Amino acid sequence: MGKRRVDGGRGRRADVVKSKRPVKAARSNGNKRFYLVLAGVAVVGIGLVGWSIARPRPAFQVTDVKATPAQSQGYLYGNPNAPVHIIEFGDFECPACGEFANVTEPDIRKRIVDAGLANLTFIDFPLIEVHRNTVPASEAAACAADQGKFWQMHDRLFSGQLEWNGEATSNPKKVFQRYAKELGLDTEKWEQCFDSQQHLTRIMGNRAEAERRHVDQTPTFFIGTKMIPGPIPYDEFRAYVDQAAAQVAMQSAARADSQKKAGAKP
Amino acid sequence: MKPRQVVALLALVGVFVALYLTLYKVGIVGTLSCSIGSCETVNTSRYAIFLGLPVAAWGLLTYVLLLVLALIGSREALDGSGAISWALLGLSGWSVLFSGWLTYLELFRIHAICIWCVTSATLMLLIFVASFVDWRRHMRRERTAPTDADRSKWPVASR
Repeated sequence: MGKRRVDGGRGRRADVVKSKRPVKAARSNGNKRFYLVLAGVAVVGIGLVGWSIARPRPAFQVTDVKATPAQSQGYLYGNPNAPVHIIEFGDFECPACGEFANVTEPDIRKRIVDAGLANLTFIDFPLIEVHRNTVPASEAAACAADQGKFWQMHDRLFSGQLEWNGEATSNPKKVFQRYAKELGLDTEKWEQCFDSQQHLTRIMGNRAEAERRHVDQTPTFFIGTKMIPGPIPYDEFRAYVDQAAAQVAMQSAARADSQKKAGAKP
Repeated sequence: MKPRQVVALLALVGVFVALYLTLYKVGIVGTLSCSIGSCETVNTSRYAIFLGLPVAAWGLLTYVLLLVLALIGSREALDGSGAISWALLGLSGWSVLFSGWLTYLELFRIHAICIWCVTSATLMLLIFVASFVDWRRHMRRERTAPTDADRSKWPVASR
């Protein structure tokens, strides 16, 4: 583009200045370069974030595991023939379950289950959508169950929840390994079981069972025929057990009565 | 490159850093790539949540705001906009203070350093410097621009 002579003003010599057009062109070139660099950064950024999302995770891909309620199998504590059956659907990483296990459950075990009034079955309901370490925790407990120490691991997991939950770490195995050692498990065997995710189908079967029963929060209890969602204090829990026991007693009295009547008939 | 364009570029990099940390926090990214320091200790500490939201999400929000402001301000029509200069300076200034506080927490409370957090703090400092340069330019322009009072001193040629 051409240069033009302009009057620099009174007392100034006429000077040569660039015309406005090249300035505009240079600015537009600069803008073009800026948007190109911006687009480049965006492409690289999207690529890197996408790659980190798509990258395979180290352990426990549970989304592909298809399990049915038939594959569900809980963990029993107490006398299998106790008159009342209590089922807890719990998630090892759920804080409310942790509080219940640490505060209320010891009383329930001692004063209700050990006293022979009821038995207690724990069934995993891993909330995988919100708790990333819950399935590994269920697996750690299931592997401890193989060595007859489910309840010890259950208690240890709940008492140490804050040191292995998804907020604390993305590699909870190190903590679970320590628990296995503390509980005197055969750690090599336990680790083999944990790493091979041997009980994943059982765990997901337990989850399917919870869904079948329309459980929508943890912990949820079934005491006799009643479903009680949410953690409840000991006294309330005991009242439900007593109600269920009374119901069982009534049913067995009615059964005995009808048997008696049937026996009296000629 | 104009200071606002520099802010936009740095903010875009910040968007991706904060997005990565936010995705980790909500469980979409499994583990953090962390060759230096211990990112997980920092990002899973109790200080990683601020007013009920992950700190990384606040960072993401701030970077997006800075990016939008800088992009709008880079348009020729808004080149001389003082409001954009003030907004960039204010937002980046506040964010530098906030990242300074986070760095203090890392060093003296959590006792761990997260390379991604340090990267973010550095980006924010650079954004602040660029915003400051932009703001100074704006102030200089304001000072040298003739005011209406100046203009009224000169007689207007009448036809």
